[in-house]
Amino acid sequence: MPVWQSIYQELNDPNFVIISAAQDTGGEAVAGPIFDAAGAEYVQIVDVNHTISRVFNFVNVPSAAWIDETGKIVRIDEGTYAKTHPFGGTDEYAPAVKDWVRKGPDSEYIQSAATVTNNIRNRTADEEKAEPAFRLGNFFREKGHGEKADLYWEQARQLNPDSINFFRQDLTLSEEGSAGESFMSYVKDYISQGKAYYRPLDLDEK
Amino acid sequence: MAEVRMAHPDLRNPFDTEKVGSDGGATVLYNDRTVLIEQTLNEPDLWVKPADLTRINGFVIKPQGACFEHICIPIQDGAGLVKIVSEEQWFNVVAFADLMEQPYVVDKETNAWSFGEIPLKRQGMMVDAQAPDFELIDRQGKVVRMADFKGKKALVMTWSSW
Repeated sequence: MPVWQSIYQELNDPNFVIISAAQDTGGEAVAGPIFDAAGAEYVQIVDVNHTISRVFNFVNVPSAAWIDETGKIVRIDEGTYAKTHPFGGTDEYAPAVKDWVRKGPDSEYIQSAATVTNNIRNRTADEEKAEPAFRLGNFFREKGHGEKADLYWEQARQLNPDSINFFRQDLTLSEEGSAGESFMSYVKDYISQGKAYYRPLDLDEK
Repeated sequence: MAEVRMAHPDLRNPFDTEKVGSDGGATVLYNDRTVLIEQTLNEPDLWVKPADLTRINGFVIKPQGACFEHICIPIQDGAGLVKIVSEEQWFNVVAFADLMEQPYVVDKETNAWSFGEIPLKRQGMMVDAQAPDFELIDRQGKVVRMADFKGKKALVMTWSSW
């Protein structure tokens, strides 16, 4: 997070914005201090309903889309770590972002509409239905109806077992937390089924 | 799938309990909206007055159909989308969702309906790589929409505290 603030400062371009959305049902109480500690000056959203993941078809964090001046997506759905990270980040992503901000359409990292639409994650009918199930569970939790909240979050997880977001968000409410034994076992299963924890970063793909 | 342990009841249920639902009414969730509908028909589907349809998803009933921006869905006889009860027009939001292949989940006990994405509204993204619309409130309380950033490059990114 502090890395993105330093990139934002370094670029210092009034025509470039970062819209950073915390996928956190825990709200401002859990996400706010992290934004503050990073000294974030870009657009900060505490996205309690995981709206950005829903509309861009993301299943994991961090994920991102690059949007050009005309409102077109020119890259999407990658593990957008600003630097090397054991779960798939590399040092190559942030320089690619900077290149795009500086060169725009001449950047070698922007992708065609055909590549972008191909890289948007498709959702099955069940996976689409998982979205309103998660939202309904979240609504009930906010209203203090824990049993119903658990019921609909469980439904969301079953309808879309590929959503790492739904799985880990749920784990935040368990004693072991979001990075404990259950998470490790989930990741192992996920990868053994041939699914990528993040879609691999391919900077050569046009 | 690994089971989640429910070890922290206070963590799982941190909020005071509020009553959900009212007699004859419904709660409708769509995108980030929570719309309270005062009056519905006492039927299994969700029937609302035309003005409430607009409050839910922006669609407006016009002579040519139910319309949102450039999209108009014709309301044909026999499709079960509209009916007149006590001289008032009512619209079937569930039949409309089915027609548009829009997913939904309902909690019948509280009459709380949660609607997912409308595929027609997302064709621009899926076919032509147009950034999808969203409307969220930022930490300063300002409404943020994707369209606000036309003319700029935007890096839209997610992260989490977990």
